[in-house]
Amino acid sequence: MTPSKYFLGASIAIAMLVPVFLPAQTKSWTQPKTPWGDPDIQGVWPGTAMVGTPLERDKSLGTRAFLTEDEFAKRAERAKTQAAIDNEETVSDLTRCDPGRGGLGNTPTTCKNGISIGPPLYWDDRGKPSKQASLVMDPPDGRIPPLTPEAQKMAAERIAARRARPCAATAGGCHDTWEDESLWDRCITRGTVGSIVPNTYNQGNQILQTPGYVVLRNEMIHESRIIPVAAPNNAGRPHVPPAIRTWLGDSRGHWEGNTLVVETTNFLDKTVIGQTPASEDLKLVEKFARVSADTMNYSVTIEDPKTWTKPWTISFPLKSEPDYVLYEYACHEGNYYMYNALSGARAEEKKAARNGR
Amino acid sequence: MRTKILIGVAFASLFGAAVPVWAHHSFAAEFDINKPVKLEGTVTSMEWINPHSWIHLDVKGPDGKTANWMVEGGSPNILLRRGFTKKSLEPGTVIVVDGFQAKNGEYRANGSNITFPDGKRLFLGGSNPNELPQATK
Repeated sequence: MTPSKYFLGASIAIAMLVPVFLPAQTKSWTQPKTPWGDPDIQGVWPGTAMVGTPLERDKSLGTRAFLTEDEFAKRAERAKTQAAIDNEETVSDLTRCDPGRGGLGNTPTTCKNGISIGPPLYWDDRGKPSKQASLVMDPPDGRIPPLTPEAQKMAAERIAARRARPCAATAGGCHDTWEDESLWDRCITRGTVGSIVPNTYNQGNQILQTPGYVVLRNEMIHESRIIPVAAPNNAGRPHVPPAIRTWLGDSRGHWEGNTLVVETTNFLDKTVIGQTPASEDLKLVEKFARVSADTMNYSVTIEDPKTWTKPWTISFPLKSEPDYVLYEYACHEGNYYMYNALSGARAEEKKAARNGR
Repeated sequence: MRTKILIGVAFASLFGAAVPVWAHHSFAAEFDINKPVKLEGTVTSMEWINPHSWIHLDVKGPDGKTANWMVEGGSPNILLRRGFTKKSLEPGTVIVVDGFQAKNGEYRANGSNITFPDGKRLFLGGSNPNELPQATK
């Protein structure tokens, strides 16, 4: 596909991305306005409830975006079992390593000889069972599109390079430098997408508005995006020059009716979505559409023609929770993980040297 | 066994266990599976710090010497939401920790299983939002 065709396809895909699959606006509710006339979407909007919804859809569901009653009942039953397992709260309980529990306990990667060394399960949020089959809602099969051949080649090279290192064969993996740790482990960021997409814990989001700006705060690693928003009928404000690049990118917003549309570009070329590095051509289009007093549909369309063969969209409802507190997240200051992992790897090397290996 | 694992994963993705795309940090990098520890000691302080809380406790070793251990706990935010407060674990409290020692040999451990001497658990789950958050003390 040539770039122009790609972008034509992308534009059509985005134009068609009306969030029809999520809750529709209730008839009795009217979108409140700020004193200066913008739609008022302020508040605390955690994504916690959707933590348990898988990012990608199981292939057997095909293009079915929502579960049947029977499938939903099974998902709800699993959530109950998960809560019971979380409450067991033990490292040495062998049953937690038993894959027969449907993957709800610690996974085989965190189990050695039947003993779990994974993080305690009660640390994580589990969300509330949802009928939404997956967080990825476009393409229609709910699956992240394939990587481009170029991105596949780069991914294969990265894996080969890592496997070639002696540390790859050790139980703890490679921890030779801080660069072996993820951006999240380094307390830098979980990324613009990762900070809001429900995962693990600390899913708080807060929106504040002033004339001409929307501020989006994410609890995870303590992110804030101050987004210039064009006044109605304004031509908008241009992005910063291409040479200026940041972890969270450069966001610009405008209103389409009551929906806030935010376009973000100017990412560093080290940005990752999940664990996939994106290119510096990454462009995100987010939509915030409040549909009732306590529900806001959120979607993010991820476009990066150097990385994915077509754009894809994650979409889910955020729920207002006025009592939710976004606690401070000074992460670097208390990040003993970095010290423990790097010094742990050095201790392993010394032990291996003593054993003549 | 391998087949069972794969079935487990497929089942999980169908009915809703999230496959972690944003993976948690590696515990195997920090702690040594071959060094299980059971520590009974007196809490000296608790650090309410992100990304993880750390409990400090004095533990008397078999040689009679006291060492100050650090035990890793959940993120402060999640503990607060579980109903944990700064009064939940005051200095002087005696706790029992089951865990694994840090690979670097220092007095650090992960603290998955923490109980009081009477067997009551310190962190009682409640990760299901439909349940009320609670701490046992």
